[in-house]
Amino acid sequence: MKKTLVGLLALTLMFSCKNSEEKNKTSENEKQEVNVYTHRHYESDQELFEMFEEQTGITVNVINANADELIQKMSMEGEQSPADVLITVDAGRLERAKSSDLLQAVSSEILEETIPSHLKDADNHWFGLTKRARVIAYAKDRVDESELSTYEDLASDKWNDKLLIRSSGNIYNQSLMASIMVHNGEEEAKEWAEAVVENMARAPKGNDRDQVKAVVAGEGDLAIVNTYYIGKMLNSEDPEEVKAGEEVKLFFPNQEGRGTHINVSGAGVAKYAPNKENAIKFIEFLISEEAQKIFAHSNYEYPVNEAVTPAALLQEWGEFKEDTLNLSTLGENNKKAVMLFDEAGWK
Amino acid sequence: MLSINSISKSFDKGKTFALQEVSFNLKEGDVCAIVGESGSGKTTLVRLIAGLERPDHGSIILNNKELSSVKKLVPPEKRKIGLVFQEYALFPHFDLLKNVSYGISKLKNKKERALEMLDLVGLSGLEKRYPHQLSGGQQQRVALARALAPNPSLLILDEPFSNLDAMLRMQLRSQVFEIIKKTGVTAIFVTHDTQDALSVADEILILQHGKVIQKDQASNLYIKPNSVYVASLFGNTIQLSKELQTAFDCPLNPNCNHAIRNENLSINEECEYVTHARVLKKTFMGNATQLLLKLDNGHQISVVTKDTNVADRIKIGFNSTDVLEFAG
Amino acid sequence: MKQAGSSDIFSIKSRLRRLKRDTNRWSIFTLAIVLFIALPVIAIAVKLLEGPGETWWHLVDNLLADYIGNSFFLIFTCSFLVLIMGVGTAWLVARFEFPFRKQLEWLLILPLAIPSYIVAYAYAGVFDYGGSLELILRWLNLEFVRIDIMNKFGLAFVLSISLFPYVYVSSRAFFLNQAGNLLEASTMLGVGEFKSFFRLMLPLARPAIIAGLILVLMEVLNDYGAAQYFGVNTFTTGIFRAWFSLEEPETAVYLSALLIFIVFALILFEKWQRKNIQVTGNKASGRTHRKMGTKPMEWLKFFLVLIPVILGFFIPVGQLIYWAFLTAEKVFDLDFIMLSLQSFGIALITSLVTVLFATLLIYFAKWSSINGIKSISRLGILGYAIPGAVVAIGIMIPTLAFDKWFINTMDTVFGVKTGFLFNGTLVALVYAYSVRFLAVAYNPIESTALKVSNSIPDSSKMLGVGNFKTFLKIEFPLIKTGILSAVILVFIDVLKELPLTLILKPFHINTLAVKAFEYASDEMVMEAAIPSLFIIFTATIPVIFLNKLLIKE
Repeated sequence: MKKTLVGLLALTLMFSCKNSEEKNKTSENEKQEVNVYTHRHYESDQELFEMFEEQTGITVNVINANADELIQKMSMEGEQSPADVLITVDAGRLERAKSSDLLQAVSSEILEETIPSHLKDADNHWFGLTKRARVIAYAKDRVDESELSTYEDLASDKWNDKLLIRSSGNIYNQSLMASIMVHNGEEEAKEWAEAVVENMARAPKGNDRDQVKAVVAGEGDLAIVNTYYIGKMLNSEDPEEVKAGEEVKLFFPNQEGRGTHINVSGAGVAKYAPNKENAIKFIEFLISEEAQKIFAHSNYEYPVNEAVTPAALLQEWGEFKEDTLNLSTLGENNKKAVMLFDEAGWK
Repeated sequence: MLSINSISKSFDKGKTFALQEVSFNLKEGDVCAIVGESGSGKTTLVRLIAGLERPDHGSIILNNKELSSVKKLVPPEKRKIGLVFQEYALFPHFDLLKNVSYGISKLKNKKERALEMLDLVGLSGLEKRYPHQLSGGQQQRVALARALAPNPSLLILDEPFSNLDAMLRMQLRSQVFEIIKKTGVTAIFVTHDTQDALSVADEILILQHGKVIQKDQASNLYIKPNSVYVASLFGNTIQLSKELQTAFDCPLNPNCNHAIRNENLSINEECEYVTHARVLKKTFMGNATQLLLKLDNGHQISVVTKDTNVADRIKIGFNSTDVLEFAG
Repeated sequence: MKQAGSSDIFSIKSRLRRLKRDTNRWSIFTLAIVLFIALPVIAIAVKLLEGPGETWWHLVDNLLADYIGNSFFLIFTCSFLVLIMGVGTAWLVARFEFPFRKQLEWLLILPLAIPSYIVAYAYAGVFDYGGSLELILRWLNLEFVRIDIMNKFGLAFVLSISLFPYVYVSSRAFFLNQAGNLLEASTMLGVGEFKSFFRLMLPLARPAIIAGLILVLMEVLNDYGAAQYFGVNTFTTGIFRAWFSLEEPETAVYLSALLIFIVFALILFEKWQRKNIQVTGNKASGRTHRKMGTKPMEWLKFFLVLIPVILGFFIPVGQLIYWAFLTAEKVFDLDFIMLSLQSFGIALITSLVTVLFATLLIYFAKWSSINGIKSISRLGILGYAIPGAVVAIGIMIPTLAFDKWFINTMDTVFGVKTGFLFNGTLVALVYAYSVRFLAVAYNPIESTALKVSNSIPDSSKMLGVGNFKTFLKIEFPLIKTGILSAVILVFIDVLKELPLTLILKPFHINTLAVKAFEYASDEMVMEAAIPSLFIIFTATIPVIFLNKLLIKE
């Protein structure tokens, strides 16, 4: 019995020693690497990481998970965290990481010059990589474009039983709500949410694509979606999805006023990054023209690097005025937005 | 050699006692039967001796070595006690040879010893068989061989014959105890059947509700039971209540309890105390007949007689020498 | 005088004296294992002491009723559906002969191979606009009636159809091996088939059925992926929301505590009902002999049993295969094979470690002479009740503290720079899996261990052989089918596990479940089909093997 226990213990120790040994070895050989915690898990990203490895010889180690979980992980790991770069699919959570003191300021001319100021953190803790707009997809045959105007208009009675939008657990909705809160005040935002809930064609469920499909199926007339999902549907492997994508048209709200709500997928350098230099190189690479092209063309996102033109499909939708509210504000108001959702009964 | 000193055991923290202040001694080479109804605590008692249960109070000493007490417990595997379980508990995945040699794996000549034991219980040649290929009686003997193989200083058999039918039971009983006598091992066996106990035990211990009622040699228990309960264990007994005493017109010591054994009642014969009775019902039982009697004073009793041909009205009586008297 | 003596026996002083006598190394080992396994739970409990976050009352006011309502709706609806499907099919295959019975017997277990969130994706795909059902109906020139499956009824259906085999397996084992004699007796008494099923078999099989049902309910309460996708608010989605959207781990911990409370109540209920029926249960024995029926009746039984197989396996798998065809080129490559092998390896290591822990826990507790220890040992299986993500966080709290301490000491005392011992390594991942899935291993081992009469190991001890050797020589060979079932069940669960893996997996290591989720969460549900199918096929082989094992048993 004792022998077995001792054996087990020895095995565990060996196992763990071997692991730390490996780590030691890497530091001895000065192997260059960058550890990336990312919420993005697109094929295009994998392609970009490989390109970066080829160009620089720096190995990219990736942990893929939900941004919330990654932030928890980083905050728990503290000073010992191996994370160099945190990538999320929204500004809100980058802001949260910043306010939890998990990111550090970076000075990089390339980053500061390439990225428009409202798409990055004022203190250079994080930088937008790609843009996406949250727009209205409407049934071509049932809705006339002239009936559409603003996000605020979605609360109007004429859309009763016509609105399709996913649950309030989704960060894109939370950011949209935060932006409405900042622009119109808490009180009005809550009333807006309550009216939108009233107008919903069904209880919120599924993802953005499901909302579009529901419009096509006739459950409602308007779906609130992110732009790139439409791009993806139109290029889907499933002919039925392509058909669904073709049945709707996009409308960019608030063009007369503040502009359409946008969000970014962005990246920041971790506060205790063991490979800070590589991390900066990595982010610089991600906003380089060649990388931005890949983001734009394979994932239908709007590039932040203005030198790169969006994908043909996106150009077809035309240029639009975007809300230049600094995205940091969204993160700051995210929690309040979620609570307003709950109070409004938005599932 | 075995001494049990005021052992108590409760399974519900003292609300009821499975055993209460049980004490007795056993001599080397004795075969002792522990008799009691189910729930009397007899199995608990042997499990305490075996070390499979822990006493709440008292001590157990075997060959001058303290096995169990409130401070100390020798684990069962270190007690050198052999135990044959009621359901035999043979190892189903071992053949007989491996079963029997299991407890003597450290011996050099374990195979010879195991074969010798199988031979002793009359199962030589079956060593390659598996337990499920054996009859109940055979399994019983394997269990005995397995328990005896390590030469235990004490052998315990828990209800050894309860799973066997009546014919096999008699046959096996004598076989098993022949073997036990042959090895000379001190043995305790638990039974609820007084016939088992009377036929093979040197000494008998009677347990009731977790207490020792009487411990004595078999013959003494029959002649001088110390309670109605003990008397009734060893044969049909009729308690002589005040009403019966009046019916038979035999005033007995009012401070004591009395009983009379069924076989000491005589029908239609002269004896000291008699009364008349009407036969209400006769039940044929092969070699005997059970009678339901209504005594003249209206009392009903049930009696067994060899006489198969009794009249409807009979005389019934007994002699004062046959009356069993117990301290109240 | 005697009365005085007996009350003295149970005075605190003499009790303590006996406690000292009865404390052996097994008691201490048991406590050590329970502590090790319960460490994440304790870490979370300590967090409870910090009080709820400020959003707790917000949550109580706005959402708690919904969480409780939906969770209980799921408990009741799933229990109902799972019992009908699980017990009904078990009864039919155990009791009757009909066409393809043998094949159906193992097909009925296969839904276990599919993670329930993948079943949810597949069913959403079937009933979707432009989904398979519509395509088929269009092809048949039939009118398409939209069935909305993405609600709590749909969720209950999806969870039931993917989890009913737990009940099927446990009740079939009872019907096959323990019910024979009683059934014959019942038939001899002229009691009809239906009546003897409802009046005799159902009450007798209750412990077996409820043991399976408890597993189902734990899975139901743990589900995140399917509930999230179908837009149903449950405790688990609430925990994620509180933790991540409301940014308050303290509030999430409070919700977890409530959830643990519910599960604990279920466990106690199971224990209580098992105790109540034990005497009767043990007496039932004997194999069941299958009855033949008339031809049409046999085919009717065939179709009845086929329904859950089609719903739980063929429809979701068919949908996935259709998607896989559409996306094969894009997804399938050499990396994918590597990924599968990694998944397989991790699942195998974990299942062995977990089964080792479960076995040690069961037997150490048994060898401990203190009754309280046995009750405490059951605390070790609570991890199953805690959502994977919470377990992961619970693991990170203590292991990180240790790692940080370790790195600092190594640095300051020895001047050696080391990495994390646990975090970001397989050790932490396997540890977390073990905590989470100990119950999965514990139950089959315990139930086979219970079948071995105590007198067998007791005989071994009386023959001078100690506990540990007795286990190796006597008990292990007798319970090895239970152990093997445990290995297989844990293997499959690890293969399917998602949230915990997402948080704790080391660099360079990926699993099929993570890959499938990555696709699905990027709204590439179709692309998730191939990794899902790989999980299903890797899990199917051991499931079939498990069935062979159970039948033999």
